[in-house]
Amino acid sequence: MIEVILIIVAPIIGGLIYGLERVVRARMQRRQGPPILQPFYDMLKLIDKQALIVNPYHSILGIMHFVTLWVVVAFVVLGQNLLYIIFLHLLSAIFLIIAGFSAKSIYSHIGANRELQAMIAYEPILIMTAVGFYMINGSFDISVIRNNTSEIAGLFLIFLAFLMIIPIKLKKSPFDATEAHQEIVGGVEIEYSGIFFEFLYMAKWLEYVFIYLLLMLFAGDSLILGAVLSVTVFLLVNLVDNSTARIKMKHLIKIVLGIGLSLSMINLIGLSYV
Amino acid sequence: MTTYSILIIAPLLFAFSVLFGGLRVRNVLTVVFVLFLAGVSLTNIFLVSSSTQILFSPLLHYLFILLDSIVLIYFLWQGVIKKHNLVTFFALLQMMLYAAVVFFSSSITSSDILIDEISSTMYLVINIVGGIIIVYALGYIESEKFSRFKKNGFIALLFFFLSIMNFIVSTNNIEIFFLLFELTTLCSYILIAYHGDEVSSENALKALWINQIGGVAILIALIVSITQYDTVYFDMLINNINELYLLPIVFLTIAAFVKGASIPFDKWLLGAMVAPTPVSAMLHSATMVKIAPYLMLKLAPAMSGFVSLSITLIGTFVFFSASLLALSKDYFKEILGLSTIALLALMMALAAIGTKEATTACLVLIVFHAISKALLFLQAAILEKSFNLKYVNDINGLINHSPFVVLFIVVGFASLTLPPFGAFVAKFMAIESIANEIGNNPLYVLALIFIALGSVFLTLLYFKVLTKLLAKDVSQEKEIHVDIPKLFTVPSFALLALLVMGVYVLYEKEFLTTAQVFVPVVLIAVVPLLFATLLFKKAHRVKEYHCGEKEEPQLNMYYFEIARSYKMAITVVATVLILVLILGAML
Repeated sequence: MIEVILIIVAPIIGGLIYGLERVVRARMQRRQGPPILQPFYDMLKLIDKQALIVNPYHSILGIMHFVTLWVVVAFVVLGQNLLYIIFLHLLSAIFLIIAGFSAKSIYSHIGANRELQAMIAYEPILIMTAVGFYMINGSFDISVIRNNTSEIAGLFLIFLAFLMIIPIKLKKSPFDATEAHQEIVGGVEIEYSGIFFEFLYMAKWLEYVFIYLLLMLFAGDSLILGAVLSVTVFLLVNLVDNSTARIKMKHLIKIVLGIGLSLSMINLIGLSYV
Repeated sequence: MTTYSILIIAPLLFAFSVLFGGLRVRNVLTVVFVLFLAGVSLTNIFLVSSSTQILFSPLLHYLFILLDSIVLIYFLWQGVIKKHNLVTFFALLQMMLYAAVVFFSSSITSSDILIDEISSTMYLVINIVGGIIIVYALGYIESEKFSRFKKNGFIALLFFFLSIMNFIVSTNNIEIFFLLFELTTLCSYILIAYHGDEVSSENALKALWINQIGGVAILIALIVSITQYDTVYFDMLINNINELYLLPIVFLTIAAFVKGASIPFDKWLLGAMVAPTPVSAMLHSATMVKIAPYLMLKLAPAMSGFVSLSITLIGTFVFFSASLLALSKDYFKEILGLSTIALLALMMALAAIGTKEATTACLVLIVFHAISKALLFLQAAILEKSFNLKYVNDINGLINHSPFVVLFIVVGFASLTLPPFGAFVAKFMAIESIANEIGNNPLYVLALIFIALGSVFLTLLYFKVLTKLLAKDVSQEKEIHVDIPKLFTVPSFALLALLVMGVYVLYEKEFLTTAQVFVPVVLIAVVPLLFATLLFKKAHRVKEYHCGEKEEPQLNMYYFEIARSYKMAITVVATVLILVLILGAML
């Protein structure tokens, strides 16, 4: 029962995290920042806007991106197979990418292209993370991982690699070239407006939930450790976001793959000797 | 009469009967024959196979030796008249080695025919998928400028190919295996050169000499096997294998690498694209290249330690590199070709791991890859014949003109990457079985990284192509209406049905849970439905934002340029790995 509620409110939780993040980031810059509920006010405002579309396929694929991501989050909550979830998550990313390419817009294309390249960076690391969990727990099932004790010590290097891909997924500096604020006017998001943009907006919140749920897996069955991990990582990601500059896509891939894959490789080799 | 003999002899008879006769008679006959073969291969799985010894009479053996000599002489003759030194050289080398094999040949006999689970699965792939390809070849070949006899000959050759393939997956005798291996080389040589122009004949010769390396490798394996193990039979060789002396196995795997167009032997498969498209479909999906994973699966029980590890590493490395190389391509068939090379390498790697799970994954991949590739090449044929398109960059906004072709291409690509299709299941199981192996040997981590990167590249590749298809314009200037012949659409739907059945079998065998199958199916299936129904009539249409630029932007597909030095490095690494494998087995 609690799972069902959790799944239903997942976008709201994501929205709250997003709102909180804007406050924290503002405070780090000694600004007041918006209220925590600001994302929801944005949503209310967007409903009133006139719906403008470039073509129906574009809009439908955007909605499918959101729906698929919600399903992915549901699968994580229900404790399904981690490797399977990673591939399902790929499907949601693909919907967004195809949507980006289906509009005849330069910025949309650049954004979608960068989204694809970002995939090269984070997807292998996600797979390595899953394999790390598998080698320790003997199963890809999240329900099993959650019932075992925390293995963060044994998976520490993989944990570091995982930390590196969080900014990519959450569009945070230094790895936010996929969206890049004004530089490519929002990338894939540019041609969405009104109610259709809301789906993309909520998908962003779900991405937060997805990433933090995966992060909690490193805490195993300990809820306290999970809370500590989430808060620390939350602060860390925002600190890094505030203090670093955006780097180019090709450097992003080189850095994340180079360091991330080496770290996870060493970790897996280490595990094989245990 | 047993099923295997029907499957071998019937296509031969069919080949003769379609050779003569008019268009209509030939088409009807072909469809009936294909249905028959599919039926026989299906009933085969339900029959309880009796493990009786089947020995061919000495007369038949002499006939095979005679055939072999004729094939080799033909290769030599082609090399001489086409003035191609490599072909001539390899033909001569094979003749000498073959003479040695016949001279030394062992007297101990075992069963000449051995049908196991793998053979039965291969029958399904060869006859059903291959059959569907023959059906659409009927439509394709009519639009070529050949004489009636040459058109019929094309269909006949395809039937002949099926017969050889059915035989090759049934035999237990390596000498016969060699003959059939050479016959597939011969078939592909004739088929690739079918257009008769200069490029075709050049590429056909390339295919010929590269495939002859495989023949040489089998002959060396045979000689070593006869001198060391005193046998020419797969089962005896595998059962009596001495872990310190794996040379025959290694040489047979090299033959598999050649047939599977694994890097550095990849040039022939890409060159084969000049042939009529059904040939590519045939070579890539149901026949020819599938000999490679089949042979690997057969040899897997005899592999151990070093050999198994190095083949896995070679396979996963090629999987990774071929996917990477494919990213820089624009020619639709070339993209499909490189992805075939990649996936075949993955199959071979899986077979070499040899655990129950990896073997199953390999079989699943063989079946699904055949269906998906047949479907995709069929769409390539439609693009070529009905729309005159060959390059991905030109297929802009195809969805406006032919939504069904787009649907099939999307399904084809999705079935190679996404859940719940077989290729996904295979990749899933591949990662799992390699993760298990890491515990035994840390070097398998490399294989894991190759798979992780390779699968991302492949996804990228497929969706790079898809992005071109869906680009819909707001202002649709003109609708191009093209009629696609029935002989193309019906096979497309048949292949789609096969995919669905395949997924059902996976579900039935409990590879995936109910949720794991149905959720993605619904998610993917709902998209075309929404496309057709949701039109957002009330929403305002706007032009895209171009920062105030007045000129319409020209959008092309992006490329990932891969430096020449990388390409060289990939070939060098692959070659070195194979040499290491041979040397390691010798020491």
